[in-house]
Amino acid sequence: MSASKMSGSPKMNAANNAGVTGQPVASVTQNGIRTERSFKRFTLGQRWEHAVLFLSFTVLLLTGLPQKYFSSWGYRVLTSPDSVLLVRQIHHIAAIVLTLEVVYHLGRGILLLARRQLSASVFPTWQDMRDAWQMTKYLLFLSNKKPIFGKYNFEQKFTYWFLFVAIGIMVFSGFILWFPILITRFLPGGIIPAAQLAHSSEAIAAAIFVVLWHFYHVHFERLNLSIFTGRINEEDMREFHQLEYERLTGEKIADETVASTGKDPQQGGSE
Amino acid sequence: MANFNAPDRQMSRLGTILVAIVLVLIASLTLVVSTRAAGLPQSGETEPGTEAYCLSCHNNPNLQMTLPSGETLSLYISADKLSKSAHSPLGIECHACHTEITTYPHPKIDFTTRRELSRSYYLACQKCHEANYTKAQDSMHAKVAEAGNLDAPICTDCHGAHDVRPPDQPRAHISEICGQCHTQIFDAYKNSIHGAALIQENNPDVPVCTDCHGVHNIQDPRTQEFRVETPELCAGCHANQELMAKYGLNADVYSLYKLSWHGVDVSIYKAKWPNLWHNSAVCTDCHGTHDILATDNPASKVNPINLLVTCQQCHPDANANFTGAWTGHNQISLSRTPFVYYTDAFYSTFTPFVLWASAIYIILQILRALVARVRRSLR
Repeated sequence: MSASKMSGSPKMNAANNAGVTGQPVASVTQNGIRTERSFKRFTLGQRWEHAVLFLSFTVLLLTGLPQKYFSSWGYRVLTSPDSVLLVRQIHHIAAIVLTLEVVYHLGRGILLLARRQLSASVFPTWQDMRDAWQMTKYLLFLSNKKPIFGKYNFEQKFTYWFLFVAIGIMVFSGFILWFPILITRFLPGGIIPAAQLAHSSEAIAAAIFVVLWHFYHVHFERLNLSIFTGRINEEDMREFHQLEYERLTGEKIADETVASTGKDPQQGGSE
Repeated sequence: MANFNAPDRQMSRLGTILVAIVLVLIASLTLVVSTRAAGLPQSGETEPGTEAYCLSCHNNPNLQMTLPSGETLSLYISADKLSKSAHSPLGIECHACHTEITTYPHPKIDFTTRRELSRSYYLACQKCHEANYTKAQDSMHAKVAEAGNLDAPICTDCHGAHDVRPPDQPRAHISEICGQCHTQIFDAYKNSIHGAALIQENNPDVPVCTDCHGVHNIQDPRTQEFRVETPELCAGCHANQELMAKYGLNADVYSLYKLSWHGVDVSIYKAKWPNLWHNSAVCTDCHGTHDILATDNPASKVNPINLLVTCQQCHPDANANFTGAWTGHNQISLSRTPFVYYTDAFYSTFTPFVLWASAIYIILQILRALVARVRRSLR
């Protein structure tokens, strides 16, 4: 797809590499075959980042848990001091991978934001608070109006920032535990037992959060594979990211508060 | 009556002659003895095999013999010591142990050295003290002896032989006994908080050597098995609330140690690999072993002024900040451990709150989605 075919805001054309533009692929109805329109949601770089994060997170969890719960069940897995050392080494390697990912993510994000090549849509706003409040009312049957969202809804932003903080804590406390002597050249010793407690607690908190919150939203609420495919289909785009859909297509969805799934999305059939 | 008197008188005359003959015989015997031993037995009062009989010769301080090794073996037994021993007043006399000697002359002994003699005679202890004798055969001392060191202690080295008496009267005597051989350790112990209280105050609560090392089946304390048991050994007293309260000491030190990095490590090795050497610190690594001092003593290894050096035993590159990593057996508190305090507060309030809120939100979402689906199907 060339840039000229983009239907999104022209101002954002330069930001293609930053994954901000939702570049719709035309759904063509030809010879009775209807191909559904989809929008670009994540860049290849972002998809790779997620893959690295997913892998390192999993390895860290799998090698960390038997260490944390050694006395109750970890000893069944780690049957010798050598196996503890091995698992610790794997944990350290995965930690380095995750740390590099964090450094890349932050560096790239800050650089692109500074160059104004990255939309700040992932940052929380007051609108998110209002959306959350409205959504809570909706869930409690106090309102029939479901809030409508932009590129990232408040649930997705919450996922991002919860894990952002959690990974930050894990990386920071992890390095304190790995290099306590070095760290205490600069910082007071009291942070070592605190880091121990934080590393151990935050790991469990993050694991619970991913399973509970992230898995529910991407696997059970709907199967959302856009982080792997890089694209989001039109139906999901209209239902879950109406504002972004409207921004990219320039169309207005009728003010049905609950996105109508029965409607044939033929209005996007041609560009 | 007279009729009966005559033969009677004859008989008594015969008896007198017999007694005289016996007396002469005994006198001649004692003369023979006196050529080798200076003491003369008090004939008539003693029977062979009794203590008094033995002492009639052996109460001579100069009684001695020379063994083939050239060593002099004193054969003097102090009647005074004997009377204060645990055995003699109970009627357990010489023969109970010296079973082969009943009378004079004694059977010939064929010991080359004094030690050989001791190591042979102490076997008699097991006749009565079988349990403790058997335990002692499993001890470090017995193993050392088996390996060829005949100086390794036997019953009598610690308990005494003719002067055997309860070893704990006074209690400090126990440690003094060990100190006869383990002089350096005893010197260190004497000045420790435990040893000083024992020796100067005869304190009944502080440990003597045997409280930690065991009594008869004393094991090698340099093994990993002994090392990983150390925290429990100290906890025997230091986790006892009542006992510690008596001295104003914190009885939570053990339970808090178990939560520390060192303590977790040690308990894992103890539970899973008790035979593998591991360096994670046990009580004695930081507090010292025989030279333990009160923590507020400026010479104590764990006194704040010495703590860095103590940490550096295992963490050679550590600097002063590092010592702050040790929470000092303290409960989490704002004043002593502020970083841990705030971290703990965060994870016991804020994080559970966020996770519970998330969980409730998800449940509401599921319910709302179900209701929406049911409504749609009913439409």
